[in-house]
Amino acid sequence: MTTPGAASTGAVAIEGGDLPLGGGLLALVRPALDLLEPGGVLAVLSLSPAVAQDLPAWCRLERHQYLGSEPLPDGRTRHLVERGTHSVPQGPRDGSISLPRRAGRLAVPMPEHADPSTGFAPRGARVEPGGPVYPFSLLDRDRVAPPEVSQLYDQAVASQWDATRDIPWDKVKPLPPALEQALGQIMTFLAENELSALYVPSRFLPRIHPAYVEVAMFLASQLADEARHIDVFLKRARAGGGGLGVSSVTTSQSLLSLLQLEDFTEAAFLLSVLGEGTFLDLLRYIERYAPDEPTAELTRRARLDEARHVHFGLAHTKHALSHDPTLYGRLEAAVRRRAATLSNAGGVPAPIQDSLTILAAGGADPPSVARGHQAFRELLETMHEQRVKRLLTGGFTPKQAQAISDLHTPNFM
Amino acid sequence: MSDHSIFLGAVAYDPKVVTIWEGLRDYFRDAGVPLDFALFSNYERQVETLLRGHIDVAWNTPLAHVQVKLRTSGQSLSLGMRDTDCGFRSKVVVRKDAGLRHLTDLRNVTLAVGSRDSVQARILPLYHLQKEGLDLSRQRLLKFDTDLGKHGDTGTSELDVLAALHDGRAQAGTVGDLVWVTEQSAGRVDASKIEVLWTTPAFNHCMFDALPGLAPEKAAAFQHALFAMRWDQPAHRRLLELEGLREWVQPREEGYQDLFAALESDLP
Repeated sequence: MTTPGAASTGAVAIEGGDLPLGGGLLALVRPALDLLEPGGVLAVLSLSPAVAQDLPAWCRLERHQYLGSEPLPDGRTRHLVERGTHSVPQGPRDGSISLPRRAGRLAVPMPEHADPSTGFAPRGARVEPGGPVYPFSLLDRDRVAPPEVSQLYDQAVASQWDATRDIPWDKVKPLPPALEQALGQIMTFLAENELSALYVPSRFLPRIHPAYVEVAMFLASQLADEARHIDVFLKRARAGGGGLGVSSVTTSQSLLSLLQLEDFTEAAFLLSVLGEGTFLDLLRYIERYAPDEPTAELTRRARLDEARHVHFGLAHTKHALSHDPTLYGRLEAAVRRRAATLSNAGGVPAPIQDSLTILAAGGADPPSVARGHQAFRELLETMHEQRVKRLLTGGFTPKQAQAISDLHTPNFM
Repeated sequence: MSDHSIFLGAVAYDPKVVTIWEGLRDYFRDAGVPLDFALFSNYERQVETLLRGHIDVAWNTPLAHVQVKLRTSGQSLSLGMRDTDCGFRSKVVVRKDAGLRHLTDLRNVTLAVGSRDSVQARILPLYHLQKEGLDLSRQRLLKFDTDLGKHGDTGTSELDVLAALHDGRAQAGTVGDLVWVTEQSAGRVDASKIEVLWTTPAFNHCMFDALPGLAPEKAAAFQHALFAMRWDQPAHRRLLELEGLREWVQPREEGYQDLFAALESDLP
């Protein structure tokens, strides 16, 4: 079969040698056709006589148009195939070449809205149409992905540490029993709260469309941080022989109210901005009054991680607020709803209040305890002031910031 | 069952046929065309049931289509077919070590063929080989009469033919072109052992058949919904993939003439 004059229309040519269709030729033909737009023509140069019979049948199977063939003077045959219109991947080609450097690895910008039918296709891949719709529900960039997220992910990757290797555990020395017990209680409280910080973001991770994969990757680093914190706090509780303390109902109720949040931005605000933000002051306090170097070191390291989580939560909230001012009212309402469910809670759970007092006192003698009590009262004041500052940074009015901070859970997280 | 609904017959050659027709029934319902279906175990029963007017539409193989045409003196209605049903061809595939260069060389070797009711793996390739001068009465044949009644739909006999070629029980064999390229495309053909020798002229394959008395509005509604299916729609695509097509196309009658002639001739 010969199509006169067709040779000039061959836009791309491949050299098939004597490969039969089922003996490797398709591995050259298929990628070459993939480079063409529908209607583009591929020339297949072949020495195999069987290709003349098999290529038209394969084109019929794949809905490409076999245009014909013509013999060349050198003994080869030139077959012409017009690319069909079915299953053409959508989207621009990502031909960008870049060295792997931080905060620049994904060259294609995030879309404003994501299409659930692109599934797990990496951003920048060309997607064959007709794929199934995935159950992602976080599909809007401005509700998911603050601009800083790539840098925060890079920071997280560069800041990973090892709860066994990086803490000078050999420097743990016996403490007075009251102090050892208080430390065990504090570590129990920290681990319990960090467990919630492990579970709450993980609920939202599978809802994030992979077009915003940097957010999922950052949350993955956050989860790894929380896992390490749980590990290191429990290690410290047990290292001195004091063991674990009490889990109070106030803590349990407070953390359940976080776990039950259904909105990603509300969760980021309540957990990361308010909860983890308050924990920064708590960790700084524990570090300051730490009875030994291992305790100071592990709380310092945990605080640096938490600062990154607060940064992300604040960036997320600010970004979302800048695109949707009605969110101020919604976030304030979320805080009020949560406060209402916790209205039966009297104040900071007694076991943690007492332990923080003893920690700052450095022992159980009354004059020291008086100083410890004063330190604890100052901690609450600092937490409130810092919360208000963060809320003002987030764009809330001073009145809103005061109200929200006052309503924050007595459990800190 | 409403009088407006279309009652369709299909042959259950594979468990996926249930999935296909339950999916298509739901698709037609959503498109405002109530449709129900009955599955038959063989095409002969389906053709008889259509001719008695117990079903409105039959999804038929080319052999069943030609039988319906013959039994209705050409008056039956053709409603649509798959894009893949046009331009079908059969292949004569040979072992490379058999040294076969021309169709006349086949007379000295064993020719593997598919089921006797398979148009693509037996009826039409043998018809064309006879036209090309091969004496079928003296030809050594290895016949794979598997899944009779299914008219070759299962493809089992074609895979049997390819297996016989791979292991040397036959030196040549006849298969449909889609099985041949699909097996090559999937890497299941040893290209160092077997290759194509000859390709038959084109013919057409399956068809939705109806009796001449089918209400025109039913026929129109059926066709309208059928041709509205789109490969790029995920829900449609799954069904189209299962049924082996990318789009439904208007019926074409011109590709069945060789089959009419083949049924008149005495083929082994």
